[in-house]
Amino acid sequence: MSEVTEGAVRPLIDGAARRRPIGLLLVAIPVLLMIWLVIWPAMNAIGRTIWRTDANGQLSFDLSSYVFFFSDRYSLDNLAVTLWTTFVCAILLLVICLPIALYLRFSHGRLSAYVQALAIFPMFVPSIILAFAFIRVLGPNGMVDILLNAVDLPKIRTPYLTPWGPVIGLVWDNIPLTVLILLAGLGSVANQSIEAARDVGANALQVFWHIILPRISNSVLVALSFSVLGIFSSFTLPYLLGPASPEMLGPFMQRTLREVQNPVGAMTQAVVAFGFCIVFGLFYVRSVARNQGK
Amino acid sequence: MKRRTFMMSTAGAAAGLAFAPRMSFAAQGTIDWYTSSDTNILDFWTNTVKPAFEAANPGIKLNLVDAGDGAGVIAIGERAIAAKQTKADPQADYFESADALLPAGAIKAGVYTNIKQAGLANYSKVNPLAIESEYSLPYRGSQVLLAYDTTKLKPADAPKTWEQLVTWIKANPGQFVYNRPDKGGSGGNFVRRAIHQANGLDPKAFKVDNYTQAFGDEALGKAWKLLADIAPSLYDKGAYSSGNTQSLQLLSQGVVTMIPVWSDQVLQAIEQGVLPAETGLVQLQDLALCGGFTRSVVIENGANREASLKLADFMLSEEMQSAILTELGGFPGVSWDHVSADLRKRFADIIPQSIPTFPGGKWEAAINDGWYRNVAPNVDRKS
Repeated sequence: MSEVTEGAVRPLIDGAARRRPIGLLLVAIPVLLMIWLVIWPAMNAIGRTIWRTDANGQLSFDLSSYVFFFSDRYSLDNLAVTLWTTFVCAILLLVICLPIALYLRFSHGRLSAYVQALAIFPMFVPSIILAFAFIRVLGPNGMVDILLNAVDLPKIRTPYLTPWGPVIGLVWDNIPLTVLILLAGLGSVANQSIEAARDVGANALQVFWHIILPRISNSVLVALSFSVLGIFSSFTLPYLLGPASPEMLGPFMQRTLREVQNPVGAMTQAVVAFGFCIVFGLFYVRSVARNQGK
Repeated sequence: MKRRTFMMSTAGAAAGLAFAPRMSFAAQGTIDWYTSSDTNILDFWTNTVKPAFEAANPGIKLNLVDAGDGAGVIAIGERAIAAKQTKADPQADYFESADALLPAGAIKAGVYTNIKQAGLANYSKVNPLAIESEYSLPYRGSQVLLAYDTTKLKPADAPKTWEQLVTWIKANPGQFVYNRPDKGGSGGNFVRRAIHQANGLDPKAFKVDNYTQAFGDEALGKAWKLLADIAPSLYDKGAYSSGNTQSLQLLSQGVVTMIPVWSDQVLQAIEQGVLPAETGLVQLQDLALCGGFTRSVVIENGANREASLKLADFMLSEEMQSAILTELGGFPGVSWDHVSADLRKRFADIIPQSIPTFPGGKWEAAINDGWYRNVAPNVDRKS
């Protein structure tokens, strides 16, 4: 028992001098992992696409793979469809998830618990299963077609193997994360401020626009940059549901590396993707930093 | 045991331990076997080959390891080369599926066994069309066929030549789909059949080492024209499924009437009820769609070389070759004369007259890149 009593004597908050090495050690593992698995390969890829061995075996500064990427119609089409998909998904996510999050924040009871469970559900469905379920339901002669046929309606124009296929899949896949982040943000909206606004005669739209939105703008940015990062580099859903051409950068990179056997081309595409992701990532870092500063 | 001998032997063992290099050895009598094939092949080996082989050869065990993909097997091949140089144990004996030319220099380094000269009793039965190298053993094959829905297309009207197929596709828009050539061999070999069509139906014109930019652009360019020509008549005015399975799914959902398929996959799908029994199979008679053989390799410096050669010989036995047909839905690696008569009768419709193949290497990269650039986008899907 003596150990326990001794432990209890320890001050609740250690001195800063004793605490610091432990804190740094705890951070060191993820930081080292990130340097090893993310930053170093990224640097390596940038280096190997810029300094390349020429025909004489000499290392030299060479941007030709980037010149090719940005002058190649096919690569640019793929980049364009990736940006289009990301943009459309982000808009749709916001339009779908904000009402769900608002509903969950301001309503109580059993129904809202069910809605929440339903909104989180996609998180537990692996995307490969989602893709094949999508084909069965929304695909040609799928369940929707069968149901429509039963009531003598014409078949739908299936989104399978068109650019809308991955959009629908990716939006569904990203709903849980977006709803959770928005919900967390809505937690910081005090009931008092809404009641105060209502007391002075603000309608629902005005409450949303002037009270809620300014408080959660940060969460919206975080939610969007999270899902945008995932969507931009997604692979499985565009691969299984999207058209052969134009294809998103994820499948395009994998194909260039393995099937076209062009590692430099694949790395160039990766660096370009990395560049776009950094821009999205900066939004996130900026909004987190702004929050910390408060 | 006398005390002195005991002391000597313990001292000797201790000294031996001290001098032994620090490494693990492959167990004697356990064949370390690697595959790069799909799960159905691993299942076949686990459930069919392993029990039969171990029962027939007491004292020999099989250690079945999934190397993941082709690159995984090549990496183990590189390990065997390194082990040969340091006279160490490669801990590998048998590759279920390998290319004798990869990793480069494996044959020269003496890592792969010359199967032809190894004295296998059954080697003479191997289908001569399938032999690519003396260092690898083709033991199973599959070929791409056309599968169709007999409720929509009568077997008598099924196309038998490329010309008839194109005529049928154009007369029945939206009823044919093939997958992207790099995402599965059924679409891949359909595309290669178009390349043969555009270049005088001569599979011998394409060799693993005769790719040049100029020849490639010319030969493939003609094929892209053929494929772009049929594109508007394909499913959804030119959509391409993303794999063998997805094509099968479109056929089974009744969306399309005809698709190219791997023989083993379609036979299994019919067997399991994924495709209805009314699925018809047809092979083009002017020139068959390409096929391929899976070739095994025995590691020369493996600890169980002799046992592995027994395994290689065992795979060519009538028992195993019949199992490949019935259990796996594959094609035999031996000539059809060496398959039992009733099986030969049962599969008469799909026994190929010839099995054209298409080389890999630079051709493969050129096809994969060229198809995406020239065939896939050329369609206005909105119209």
